[in-house]
Amino acid sequence: MKRGAEADIYLVEWGGKKAVSKVRTPKPYRHQELDSAIRKHRTVHEANFMSTAKAAGVTTPFVHFVDPVKAEIIMDFVEGENVRVGITPDLCYEMGRYAAMLHANTIIHGDLTTSNFIANKKLVLLDFGLSYYSERIEDLATDIRLIKEVFTSAHIVVKKAFPRFVQGYASIAGRKRTDKILENVREIEQRGRYARVT
Amino acid sequence: MLCLGIESTAHTFGCSVVESKGKVLSDERDVYKAPEGSGIHPRDASRHHMEACSAVLRQSLLSAGVSMKDIDIVGYSAGPGLGPCLRVGAVAARTLAGFYKKPLVPVNHALGHLELGAMLTDATDPLVLLVSGGHTMILAFSHGRWRVFGETLDITVGQLLDQFGRTLGFASPCGGRIEQLAVQSAGKYMQLPYIVKGNDVSFSGLLTAVTKLASEGVEATDTCYSLQETAFAMLAEAVERALSFTGKKEMMIVGGVAANKRLAQMLEAACGRQGSKLFVCPLKFAGDNGAQIAWTAIQQYQDTKKQIKVEKSFVQQSWRLDTVDVSWRR
Repeated sequence: MKRGAEADIYLVEWGGKKAVSKVRTPKPYRHQELDSAIRKHRTVHEANFMSTAKAAGVTTPFVHFVDPVKAEIIMDFVEGENVRVGITPDLCYEMGRYAAMLHANTIIHGDLTTSNFIANKKLVLLDFGLSYYSERIEDLATDIRLIKEVFTSAHIVVKKAFPRFVQGYASIAGRKRTDKILENVREIEQRGRYARVT
Repeated sequence: MLCLGIESTAHTFGCSVVESKGKVLSDERDVYKAPEGSGIHPRDASRHHMEACSAVLRQSLLSAGVSMKDIDIVGYSAGPGLGPCLRVGAVAARTLAGFYKKPLVPVNHALGHLELGAMLTDATDPLVLLVSGGHTMILAFSHGRWRVFGETLDITVGQLLDQFGRTLGFASPCGGRIEQLAVQSAGKYMQLPYIVKGNDVSFSGLLTAVTKLASEGVEATDTCYSLQETAFAMLAEAVERALSFTGKKEMMIVGGVAANKRLAQMLEAACGRQGSKLFVCPLKFAGDNGAQIAWTAIQQYQDTKKQIKVEKSFVQQSWRLDTVDVSWRR
């Protein structure tokens, strides 16, 4: 169905319903040892985090089957439009809420980007391959910085994207905590190459 | 229209004459060589540039078969880079522009890498991987600027290679020596930290880990091999993610580390998977050079007619590429 950055997506049938098989195919350019370790690790993590994210209140596809050796996950097929294409300020607000809900449960998504959200009746979050547990402000801020980078590169025309995201985030996390995390985001940005210290 | 470009951000002092259609009439350089086991000392490098300046300049005019009278504009790299080095190029450019009454154009060094690379490879709308001692960035052009889609969160891949190379006793730049050693390895891979955060990468932990391996007496060939395999796979993955996200059908690699064959090979495979075409900046122009400055200055000047008064000209050690307006590119 689609070739993603690290996995191939196939449309399959599971229990008579439409489902998706996500297979992390080997990357021939990567050293074989490194490659298989990464693929296995991410597959297992992704399946786990998709379930724990649900408990945090975030909508994710239902996982049917996991094969760590083949690095395959079979999950529900999600109807809807990819947010990378159909981005709106309101969706950004909703994305901010999702991020805050994950963070409240010490889950760092690790790859918060618009292409990992699907707008259905509810917003659906995908791709937990880089997720991990952490309570460190630095890790929360890294997550936020990534989506900010996506907004300011791919979605530069959507001027309200990041402010709306922050509003959504603060609606769950509270203003005080949000400001503290944003302060850390600035710190990370200033650590960037050739950033002006302001 | 002819432009004289002066480059002096780091170890290279370069002068080049470029014509407005993109013909590089001359490209002369003198490169500061650091002592074995050490990096670029800004003071020593700037002293080298001062001593090399007049000879490189004279030779660049001579090779192009022109004199200062034929030059229409003078471009100089105004940053980002090492302050003392940048100042040498700026002083040379100011002097020439002032004395010969030529328009003076400041150029962002990183933009120079991208613009010259695009011109030489004929890439029209590429995703760009800029890899050098100063930069590790994934960029694409959108709405008047090169936008950053991914970058390093700490040190650059060039710094990673240089700093590790120095512990092995090499002098910066060490990429070439590390590549030679890696090729001699039997392919024994030692596990090292592999850090990809979305489209971003982080190399500092990798540097610590590989330095530790070397101090424990692991063969240099094997550490170099494992280092390259890990660092370049991280870059290739970040590139693949950005390609998949942006849907770009062209991918270009520029900067000093673009000279590495193993990196190009991995990116070739990554591009193949995503159905994109890889453009590699010709080896001769991958590293720092005056032509990148001249070519960017000439486009900038032709489109905006903007020049800077000698007394207002500047250098900036920190100057991010995503803050530069690029009006001539659509």
